Amino acid sequence: MPGFVIDAQGIEKSFGTLKAVDGVSLQVKTGECFGILGPNGAGKTTTIKMLHGAVQSDAGALRVLGRDVATQSRLIRAQMGVVSQEDTLDRDLTVYENLWVYAGFFSISKKASLSRIEYLIDFMQLREKWDSQIKTLSGGMKRRLHIARALIHEPKFLILDEPTTGLDPQARHLVWQRLRELKAQGLTILLTTHYMEEAAQMCDRIGIMDGGKFLVEGPPQTLVQEKVGDEVYELRGGASEELLDSLQGLPVTTEIVADILYLYSHNGMGVMEHLISCGRKDFLRRPATLEDLFLRLTGRELRD
Amino acid sequence: MLFPQAPSHRAFRVWVRHLVYYRSFYLAEWAGNLGEHILWLVAFGYGLGRLVPSLDGISYAQFIGPGLMVSVAMWNATYESTYGAYSRMRIQNVYESMLMAPLTVGDIVLGDLLWCASRALIGSTLMLIVLSLFGLVGSLWAVAILPILFIEAVMFAALGLIATSLAHSFSFFNFYFSAIVMPMFFFAGTLFPIKGLPLWVERLSEALPLTHAVRIARGLFIYGYVEDFIWHFSFLLGFTFLFLTVACVLVSRRMVE
Ligand SMILES: Nc1ncnc2c1ncn2[C@@H]1O[C@H](COP(=O)(O)OP(=O)(O)OP(=O)(O)O)[C@@H](O)[C@H]1O
Ligand SMILES: [Mg+2]
Repeated sequence: MPGFVIDAQGIEKSFGTLKAVDGVSLQVKTGECFGILGPNGAGKTTTIKMLHGAVQSDAGALRVLGRDVATQSRLIRAQMGVVSQEDTLDRDLTVYENLWVYAGFFSISKKASLSRIEYLIDFMQLREKWDSQIKTLSGGMKRRLHIARALIHEPKFLILDEPTTGLDPQARHLVWQRLRELKAQGLTILLTTHYMEEAAQMCDRIGIMDGGKFLVEGPPQTLVQEKVGDEVYELRGGASEELLDSLQGLPVTTEIVADILYLYSHNGMGVMEHLISCGRKDFLRRPATLEDLFLRLTGRELRD
Repeated sequence: MLFPQAPSHRAFRVWVRHLVYYRSFYLAEWAGNLGEHILWLVAFGYGLGRLVPSLDGISYAQFIGPGLMVSVAMWNATYESTYGAYSRMRIQNVYESMLMAPLTVGDIVLGDLLWCASRALIGSTLMLIVLSLFGLVGSLWAVAILPILFIEAVMFAALGLIATSLAHSFSFFNFYFSAIVMPMFFFAGTLFPIKGLPLWVERLSEALPLTHAVRIARGLFIYGYVEDFIWHFSFLLGFTFLFLTVACVLVSRRMVE
């Protein structure tokens, strides 16, 4: 099998006149972790649903785990775990029954599924909830159960659509911790998230999506360095024409958002000294982040 | 693969899911079913039946017994495949989660239909028990109705699933019940004989699948023999396959965008 777990070439999907996915090409290698970032409505979920066959592409070619999604989606799903953005846990069943019934869908024997459930219940810290109804679980527990369910058949490839949205910091940290462990075990992972910090730490490569297309794609640190710079200076309370003019010669890019002036510097040299010499000491100096890149690429206007 | 959504043996796993849920409430349901069956039989068979002269040499209660049993299968299968399936498909995302596992739409549809039919079979078996307690089963052949009821129930479940895949809310089922299920119940010769009614009613009745199940049941219950059995049975089987295929196509369209 060629090394690509996902091999998408120019896939497209329209809903009526709206092009939700507009020519996405993406290749993810075995063992890699790829993160899709993008504002609401960018087309992340639609892209993910195309990978497991819940949405059929209008154009392009899509292979997952070496098979064609259009004709062999069932066989692909047998080796793939999916954590959907929406809650799809079975509310009629208990925590244990959810896992046990789902294992049956993968034709896992009763005995094998029991030991796998034992392991996953501990891995996701759900032991006390073993016999509980789904409606008695907190949001974080539901999400953890979702992930446990997606891992029931020891998949080769895991897809997670916003695994930590709506979770408190404790629950979020636990989920990211577990995902890092899975990655270290060699699992190939594709995820979407709005948490830039975690994505930057976790993902080997990220793609920023907007309007159904990838705007950029690559290793997060490299992208930030190339497209934003090393450091950011934030000056609140606006900036005078004078100050802006005096910055001309320096290796910085400027951006003004409402009453904040952002300076993106490429090698820090001299910027701080310059600001101080201009009498400005009220600035915040910090390393450039993925969020800076995200906002610069996708703009600051609200979506939806 | 020629039919990527075709059903397979994995439908059994879907059936198991429904059974696991059923375990949590079946006793209450059985009690309710029994009560309802007895109520129908007493109210119609003996209450209304006092006003009805004997029909073809049998009492009114004897006449409606098999018809009621056959309709129980229809009602049960219909409820489960409309309200039940709609909630699984549209509200609780149960189908969606199955489609993230290696199941096809065909597996899900077939598993659901087998489940609806299983529940219907339980309901009708309870009815059979009630009927025999009231002494309304004249032939041991009556037991042979159960496999036929299973097929009938798959057929009505498939029809219900067609309605479910067309529905945009629960209120659609009000329409489905009053336009399809109720007329089916009344014009299949369950509560009154169709013979002697205007010709168009007779024709309509012949075209209803339930009519053929009623004929088989009445024959088995009272005489232990069914006239034109092959014809009635083929009619049921034909509609079962037709509805099953249409249901697979429509649910597929609803689930895969
Ligand atoms: N079934 C559908 N019918 C019509 N339009 C749809 C459908 N699914 C998605 N869309 C539209 O396609 C676009 C992309 O949606 P998608 O859910 O993929 O976005 P997303 O990137 O996952 O957003 P979010 O971050 O909010 O989850 C949106 O404009 C959405 O309204
Ligand atoms: Mg989404």
